[in-house]
Amino acid sequence: MTDLKTKPIRLAAMSAAMSAAMPAAMLAALLALPPLAAAQSTPDVDTIVEKANLAAYYAGDDGRSEVRMIIYDEQGREQRRQFTILRRDIEDGGDQEFLVVFSRPSDVRGTTFLVKKHVGSDDDRWLYLPGLDLVKRISAGDKRTSFVGAHYFYEDVSGRSPEEDEHEFVEETEDYYVLRHVPKDPGMVEFEDYTTWIDKETWLPMRIEYRNAAGETYRTIEAGAVETIEGFPTVTKSRVEDKSLGGYTLMQFRFIDYDIGLPADIFTERSLRRPPREWLERTEGGS
Amino acid sequence: MPRVLSIALLAALMLVAGSVAAQVEDPWPDQGADEGDEDPWAEESGDEWAEEWDDSWEDQGGGIVVTGFTELAAGMRADSDGPVDRRMTLGDARLRAEAEWIGDALEANAVGDVWYDAVTSDFEVEVRDLTVAFSPTEDIDVTAGRQVLTWGTGDLVFLNDLFPKDFVSFFAGRDDEYLKAPSDTVRVGFYNDLANVDLAWTPRYQPDEYLNGARFSFFSPRAGQVVAPDPPVGAVEPSRYELALRLYRTVRGVEYAAYGYHGYFKQPTAVDADGRLTFAPLTSLGASVRLPLWSGLFNAEFAWYDSRDDEDGDDPAVPNSQVRLLAGFERELMANFTAGFQYYVEYTRDHDALIANSPAPQFEPEEYRQVLTNRLTYRIDQDRWTLSLFTFLSPSDEDFYLRPSVTFRQSDEWQFTTGGNWFGGRDDHTFFGQLEDNSNFYVRIRYNY
Repeated sequence: MTDLKTKPIRLAAMSAAMSAAMPAAMLAALLALPPLAAAQSTPDVDTIVEKANLAAYYAGDDGRSEVRMIIYDEQGREQRRQFTILRRDIEDGGDQEFLVVFSRPSDVRGTTFLVKKHVGSDDDRWLYLPGLDLVKRISAGDKRTSFVGAHYFYEDVSGRSPEEDEHEFVEETEDYYVLRHVPKDPGMVEFEDYTTWIDKETWLPMRIEYRNAAGETYRTIEAGAVETIEGFPTVTKSRVEDKSLGGYTLMQFRFIDYDIGLPADIFTERSLRRPPREWLERTEGGS
Repeated sequence: MPRVLSIALLAALMLVAGSVAAQVEDPWPDQGADEGDEDPWAEESGDEWAEEWDDSWEDQGGGIVVTGFTELAAGMRADSDGPVDRRMTLGDARLRAEAEWIGDALEANAVGDVWYDAVTSDFEVEVRDLTVAFSPTEDIDVTAGRQVLTWGTGDLVFLNDLFPKDFVSFFAGRDDEYLKAPSDTVRVGFYNDLANVDLAWTPRYQPDEYLNGARFSFFSPRAGQVVAPDPPVGAVEPSRYELALRLYRTVRGVEYAAYGYHGYFKQPTAVDADGRLTFAPLTSLGASVRLPLWSGLFNAEFAWYDSRDDEDGDDPAVPNSQVRLLAGFERELMANFTAGFQYYVEYTRDHDALIANSPAPQFEPEEYRQVLTNRLTYRIDQDRWTLSLFTFLSPSDEDFYLRPSVTFRQSDEWQFTTGGNWFGGRDDHTFFGQLEDNSNFYVRIRYNY
């Protein structure tokens, strides 16, 4: 955890540094306003959880992004994945739809993946294998298994529903709200609990640490870079390390565009066989 | 031996072609990861990323993309006592090329294999996909040309999927994708809120790739024993069209589908007036459902096969009508370990008439042929290793078929697979029992480019 505190990679820390370079402005602010920390009482846990969930998974009403991952095993050998992801929110903080179209490597090229995420019940997921022309449905139980060989789980990609955990407030630091989350149904997950560091300015979870029954942190997800895209602070680089598996995965997002008006009917079996090219192409407004 | 030489030559060629292609096309050049560096965030700049992602994002819009693989595969019979002289069951040196072109209004796709088959001592070419796809209106997709088609809910059990299958490749241990044989078909999808419609029109009927004695032996009711004819059996193929239809809709996560088919049985189970094997006319109707249940997936499917030339079931030269039922359940039992179970039954109608008129009633199928299947899949080391066992077990026929396999995906390029096909049963004439002498094991090495 110390890494994050010492490494000013986030926008919040950057703006703080800028303020430090302008003492006059800061003084004026101090005189005009009561100290920020005192004015903003700490929001309650549920509010933090809700805002973090919205910031991390519900930016805009929909979005597209290209994603690539490098997967390192414990011996440093690497594998790569590249795909385009389309997302549509049915309701903010509620149900969502995802379409993932793989472009690399060559043996997964053309593979597509459709997720209908349901809050409060199991997600519906389908995988299309072009060689067999097979639409394979994936059972809901295995949310916490590897997403295409990466250290990320399916659940990390589409988001774990806040309703599945009990949330407790740990502490508030200069930059973060620190929360601990305990699963309501421990039998469904491989962890005992997990702790998140949520950026007070962007509400993005910047670090997540998973602990096992022995109380050891074995799995860590970190945000490596955040950019503000069309007004939405967005994690554009992320890293997950899992000591129980060995190795780690890097993930990078690019060509992100929000509120592009994705129609509902592209999140169907039709798109698994014939991905909607017009929505997968990079957009002018994207960055 | 010239055969060995030509395999070696072709293999060398393929590997050279593969590595050249890799050098030319690898769009993600290896930047040399710091292998010993456990924590890239400890780097002073904190930006391992710049290094890792030095290469540009390939533009995805338009143009032609070419990919594929080269593969060497070898397999042999476990037992040399059978009627097929040759011990080798698989000997492929294969080159696959795939090309895709995406235009504004049209997409074109091509997938083809060339390989040397050491079992038949022939060079083979197969076009698996050669299609154009377009949308004449917003709600219609048309895909025309050579293509592989699949539908239905069964796992390696097919009721309403009457698209051609290649059981020779399947039993020989080729990649699962080769179980589905391509056909020259126009597929039209109509999409609407009521129910989506898929129509597949194949102007010239395409049968399964059936066992003919060249690679695998089979039971001949006429001979009353397992045979491997040389030259191989050739059945008379109808030259008329076949038509397959599917209506489907998903309501709150439950997938409903109805199916229709008009064409011919896919296996040469009929005998024509000249005593030659052929394919009997078939019309079928069916339905399926698939839904999440108990943290897993449940599926059920039925099909009614109407044997149009044998409505009363009393013609021994033509297969009887059947009703086929399937129920299955699959779920993950523990992390990365999935188990699937299916119960399948074929009810042969007018079974009494079949037995009464059959020249060899002792070899006719049971009135209720039942099959249980089980698929176990265990993925470890982030999917690098896949351990799989598929079991068919028929309590009515008292026979079985086991398909164990281990796949190691060493990298995005190299993949190694080994496995077996083990058949057995009490009698020689049952579905899997007749294949007992064909039990085999195989290895495959693949390089993706």
